[in-house]
Amino acid sequence: MHLKYESQLREPLVNGNKNYHQVTEDIIRPIEAKPARLWYIGFYIAVALLLFGVYSVYRDVTYGIGQWNLNKTIGWGWDITNFVWWVGIGHAGTLISAILLLFRQGWRTGVNRAAEAMTIFAVMCAGQFPIWHMGRVWMAFFVLPYPNTRGPLWVNFNSPLLWDVFAISTYFTVSLLFWYSGLIPDMATVRDRAFTKLRKRLYGIASFGWSGSTKHWQRHESLSLVLAGLSTPLVLSVHTIVSFDFATSVIPGWHTTIFPPYFVAGAIFSGFAMVQTLMVIIRKVFQMEDYITMGHIEAMNKVIVLTGSIVGIAYLTELFMGWYSQNKFEGYTFWYSRANLFSPYGWSYWGMMTCNVLSPQIFWFRKMRRNLFVTFFMSVIVNIGMWFERFVIIVTSLYRDYLPSSWSVYYSPSIWEVGFYVGTFGLFFTCFFLFAKYAPVIAVAEIKYVLKTSGESFKDNMGDIEVQQVEAFVHDHAH
Amino acid sequence: MEQKKHWQSFGELNQSEAYHKDVKDEFREELPFVADESSSFLQAKAPRRDFLKYLGFSTAAAAVAASCEMPIKRAIPFANKPEDVVPGNAKFYATTYVQDGDVISVLAKVRDGRPIKIEGNELSPLTKGGTSARAQASVLDLYDTARLRFPTIDGKETTFEAIDKAVAGAMSGPVVLLTSTITSPSTKEVIAQFLAKNPGSRHVTYDAVSYSGMLLANEATYGKRAIPSYHFENAKAIVSIGADFLGTWISPVEFSRQYATGKKIDEKKPEMSKHIHFESVPSLTGSNADEKYLHRPSEMGAVVLSLLNVISGQHVTVTDEKLKTGIQKAAKALLDNKGAALVVCGSNDVNIQILVNAINEAIGAGGKTIDWSVPVNHRQGIDADFAKLVADMNAGAVGTLLIHGANPAYSWFAADAFKTGLAKVKTTVSFNSKADETTELCKYVIPDHHYLESWGDAEAKAGHYSFIQPTIFPLFKTRQWQDSLLKWSGASVDYLAFLKTYWSAKVGGETGWDKALQDGVVNPATTGNLSGATYNAGPVTAAMAAVSAAKKGGKLELVLYEKIGIGAGQGAANPWLQEMPDPITRATWDNYVIVSPALARTLLNIDLNIGGEADAYEVNPPKKVVKVTVNGKSIELPALIIPGTQPDTIAIAVGYGRSEKMGKAVVGTGKNAFPLASMQGSTVSFTNGEVTIAATGDTYPVALTQTHNRYDTAQGVRTEVMKELTLAEYKENPTEIREDREKELKPWGGLEKFESQGTIYPVYDRPGIRWGMSVDLNTCTGCGACVVACTAENNVSVVGKPEVLRGHEMQWLRIDKYYSGDMDDPKVVFQPLMCQQCDNAPCENVCPVAATNHSSEGLNQMVYNRCIGTRYCANNCPYKVRRFNWADYTGADSFPDNQKGIVNDVVLDMNDDLTRMVLNPDVTVRSRGVMEKCSFCVQRLQEAKLTAKRESRPMVDKDIKVACQQACPTNAINFGNANDKDSIISRTRVENPNRQFYVLEQLHVLPNVTYMAKVRNLEEEAGEKKEGAHA
Repeated sequence: MHLKYESQLREPLVNGNKNYHQVTEDIIRPIEAKPARLWYIGFYIAVALLLFGVYSVYRDVTYGIGQWNLNKTIGWGWDITNFVWWVGIGHAGTLISAILLLFRQGWRTGVNRAAEAMTIFAVMCAGQFPIWHMGRVWMAFFVLPYPNTRGPLWVNFNSPLLWDVFAISTYFTVSLLFWYSGLIPDMATVRDRAFTKLRKRLYGIASFGWSGSTKHWQRHESLSLVLAGLSTPLVLSVHTIVSFDFATSVIPGWHTTIFPPYFVAGAIFSGFAMVQTLMVIIRKVFQMEDYITMGHIEAMNKVIVLTGSIVGIAYLTELFMGWYSQNKFEGYTFWYSRANLFSPYGWSYWGMMTCNVLSPQIFWFRKMRRNLFVTFFMSVIVNIGMWFERFVIIVTSLYRDYLPSSWSVYYSPSIWEVGFYVGTFGLFFTCFFLFAKYAPVIAVAEIKYVLKTSGESFKDNMGDIEVQQVEAFVHDHAH
Repeated sequence: MEQKKHWQSFGELNQSEAYHKDVKDEFREELPFVADESSSFLQAKAPRRDFLKYLGFSTAAAAVAASCEMPIKRAIPFANKPEDVVPGNAKFYATTYVQDGDVISVLAKVRDGRPIKIEGNELSPLTKGGTSARAQASVLDLYDTARLRFPTIDGKETTFEAIDKAVAGAMSGPVVLLTSTITSPSTKEVIAQFLAKNPGSRHVTYDAVSYSGMLLANEATYGKRAIPSYHFENAKAIVSIGADFLGTWISPVEFSRQYATGKKIDEKKPEMSKHIHFESVPSLTGSNADEKYLHRPSEMGAVVLSLLNVISGQHVTVTDEKLKTGIQKAAKALLDNKGAALVVCGSNDVNIQILVNAINEAIGAGGKTIDWSVPVNHRQGIDADFAKLVADMNAGAVGTLLIHGANPAYSWFAADAFKTGLAKVKTTVSFNSKADETTELCKYVIPDHHYLESWGDAEAKAGHYSFIQPTIFPLFKTRQWQDSLLKWSGASVDYLAFLKTYWSAKVGGETGWDKALQDGVVNPATTGNLSGATYNAGPVTAAMAAVSAAKKGGKLELVLYEKIGIGAGQGAANPWLQEMPDPITRATWDNYVIVSPALARTLLNIDLNIGGEADAYEVNPPKKVVKVTVNGKSIELPALIIPGTQPDTIAIAVGYGRSEKMGKAVVGTGKNAFPLASMQGSTVSFTNGEVTIAATGDTYPVALTQTHNRYDTAQGVRTEVMKELTLAEYKENPTEIREDREKELKPWGGLEKFESQGTIYPVYDRPGIRWGMSVDLNTCTGCGACVVACTAENNVSVVGKPEVLRGHEMQWLRIDKYYSGDMDDPKVVFQPLMCQQCDNAPCENVCPVAATNHSSEGLNQMVYNRCIGTRYCANNCPYKVRRFNWADYTGADSFPDNQKGIVNDVVLDMNDDLTRMVLNPDVTVRSRGVMEKCSFCVQRLQEAKLTAKRESRPMVDKDIKVACQQACPTNAINFGNANDKDSIISRTRVENPNRQFYVLEQLHVLPNVTYMAKVRNLEEEAGEKKEGAHA
């Protein structure tokens, strides 16, 4: 691993003539400085949103799910839409840290820390919905299979909702471990630079006594690989299982075998979009342009156009099957309730199509991929589109299913439903602001790790070195 | 191999002192366990030794504090066990539901001293155990919080002694007793005595919706001011001209049962009666008709006249082509079935009814389908009598007015005239049990008992007696009005003694009386000898002339009609009835203006033929408000577009807009349409030919429980949902439905092998009991009695209008209505839908906590206290029969007192301690956040099994009747053990397999409810129909 050679043609992953100390300085500095005014403003807004969300949930728990505008036909609306949306977003981090690690994608180092943090926070947000959407949340522990005194009463292992419980809790645990194990060396760096006793103590606890010894590094590397190996199937399985909530049902529009790959692609799509949103802000606010380079942005935009096209194909396949299956219930759902722009929810389907399939095609152009404004704008558009996708799947399938007698009146959310969603934004950004303030937003150790093969100055040097023999190169520069 | 010692630090290598210290001390720093007595507890570092103490104290403190807030509920046990009360065992008392002229023999189910449910009395030959929605809901009226609780003088509480004294002093002649129709023979005797005591007094009968046109016509042609018995079961051809005899006309429960006999179709003998219906506004009866023709309300006379003309061999006089065909067809059907044909008409016009009598004479209905030997007593009021009373009152010619049952201040079209008249009456007494619009204006109020607290009798038709006995001690200081009359006429006995004496003489002494009370009915000894009456054709010519000369209607005409649940306002204060969706419009809690799709295009700018506009109309509850003006009186109501309405006709239901003193249920529900009626000749007319209508630009939300009404979509007809065919098709190919199903299931092994090949899972045997239900769509009329019966039996919550608007209604059983064919004049089918108790239930496998699971008897059971409310089961139910407790509708929540402001006053009122007495103790009251649904009345099944077990015999059909089945007046619902070869349910399935189908069968959810396809008696349209249904 250490003897990595990287072509001169590849873009450097770290710009500027950085040495190890500069890297540390650049990344740790914001943690040590007093937060900017902007940080306070952002943080307080996030906390305010969070409090509104807490109040919305309080109403839902105290007065019933009737605080939301769901009805006898539409049993899930914004709640599960938001759940799937957040879970989807929570895919990018682990994908970046695990799958890209296994695939030896060096560019992941610039973004993995923030992306993983985002994953953790997104999954935390996602988890709120299945919990608080329960009619009797105080009985939520019934979903846990623990030995109990209620006779032979056990959970129902046939239920996809139960699979969700396992899938998401496992995913969250592994992602959290993965993120935190990566954070340990950097926490130790902060500890070592600490200028107050308290800081030293706290970061000391947070870094679990990391001493930077070779043995520590070796274990750290092994652990990363093991966790990456564990997370990789999870990245694919979590959204597959979330898609089973729908795919295993009998409702036209839900009962679709295409869902698992389609959901996973959509999840990566939205996850990368969310990473982009955050990265564009972070690199600006924390002046991390050297670490989160245009190359990073471009790489992620490539993933976005790829996964966006995959979901596009999935949409078209569904439409085709709606006709080809000659199943009139499915045909009605796909061709009338969704694809017909003039049907009550036609706007959401075409909103989804525009945001997810049409607009990302702009990233076929290199210039667009490397345009920060376009990237930021598109990343927001994609996440709006992905929200529509989940809304389309859930609401337009339910509101007009088999029996026309039960077709629903128009469903639009109540203020408390919106409040809950807004509240999860509050939770997400509160966590993210705290994270950005108290932890290195870029993996210092990992940047240092690629610095000598992919840093700009080293690449420049490499021009001279390339003429030498590899043996000599290794001898001079490997350590 | 040599064991290498790897040193980990220089310390270890050098074995330094510091290293040893580190190794020895696991905790390098001092542990924070210091108990500093001087600082307070909060500032102290964690007091380790005291931690458990504090934990224990705070937990206990929290528990004690929490339990202090537990509400205290008092239950007072019997000090001595009453001899014949076994706690937990229900008692059934035969009694009679009487409301105005409506009479239905019923059994009241009494649990622990409280009547909780009304069941039909199967001993009555008229209803044979059938009931109506209103009879089912009447038990709730007993516990109505708005009932008057004590006698009052000028609104101030008083005692019976005081009020008796006061009335005796105030009663001055002429005395008039104003009542709604009295069907009780003993009460008539009491009235006779009272009138005899007060010279110059008289009794006036007032019916809000009267049949005086018919009574007077019968007087003119048959010499009897009476209504004969109708026998729809004997009619092979039925022509109804605006008579909603299955819904609201005269005696709908009895007629439904008779009608269903003719509609029941047997595979061995595929014959059924033919019903042709003429109407202006869609009615329950019209929806059930084989053929239906639309006419303007003002044309009703012309239709009757034309029919009479064609029958007597002349030409049709109406010009409309469709209508002309209809009249010719009707005439042909009647003439082809002479002696087995019947014409009924809903008009309140004397001349029209005379012509109807002429038709019935011409087709030989007398003695065959009309029985004059047994006149019925349901409606006796004559509009002109009441109009005269109002005139007398205004002229000051009435000294005392005693009112029972009648409420003209609300329901008389010229209510203001009545009110001014009433102000001129010196002494006004009301016996009404609620502070209705008339009672409010009366000086003396002596509220009557509810019928479940009363003694009494009723004679629905001559010789058919039904008895009323109390099932509960009177809840309030009320008194039977007959007692008041007896007292005031100086009688020494009370009404009970009077009644007993009256009947003992007739039914064979004490024993006979006891038996009569036990049975609830005394039936005529001989039945079956129907007879006609001497017919006098004299008035016909004049009537023909009058009808021909009748004024033509203007551009737009109005019809006022009664809703099946609300009637003329009697049901308006009953939340169960308000929340029961109207069979035709599927609306709750309001009245509205019914307009045709054609009128909607011009008036409301909504074209239901344009997908987008139809969708927008359907999915948005706010409907456009229109202003209807008749005779200078205006009313503003939302407009509902109902296909099958005559394009130039609009309709408004009466019975709404009641005084707020009637109860919480009437607040904000609809407007009173009675003032739009008018006096035409000697009778009140509920139609008007000169109406103007305009959209106001406002909208008003209408709580509809069904928004979309067609099962054909752009993607094809959903025949898997609803199957219907014509009699011609059925005769031609009796197995058509089976072939349909075969075709649908072909990819999965066809009908035979579908159960095993439609799944990848193994198929299980289902031995023992297997509950099954069968619903015959041919005999189901869609009347809604089952819906209210289910509500009463299963403690189904009332949620109020705001919640229905949000799609939160809780009914376990609903009656879906679908249109097919032409938008302007569609065919209508009804489909009662309850939980289908699927053997392969999609709801069961998605519940994460197994709160809904399958019983060994085929029931899909719901465990409320296990439910955590994810609603996944409801989403995955293809029938959408699952209902979620969105809010605390029952007051049974773990968070007490959080209903206020969340649910409306009606729901709060339903959870009043008084109203809660109606709850069935056998059924759990569901709390907020859990799912619920039809259980096939599992409490009844359990009881039936226990009964059989106690008697050591197998369970049989007679042990069990589920609530919907019991209430059904047409026996459209069969229920039982499908594994028992002798049960009705298996016999139905085995003997009539060809019409049988399962809803959404191809989903392989394996429902346990079978439906029998609807067959319409249509001959010639066979080919056309087929095209329509399968296009």
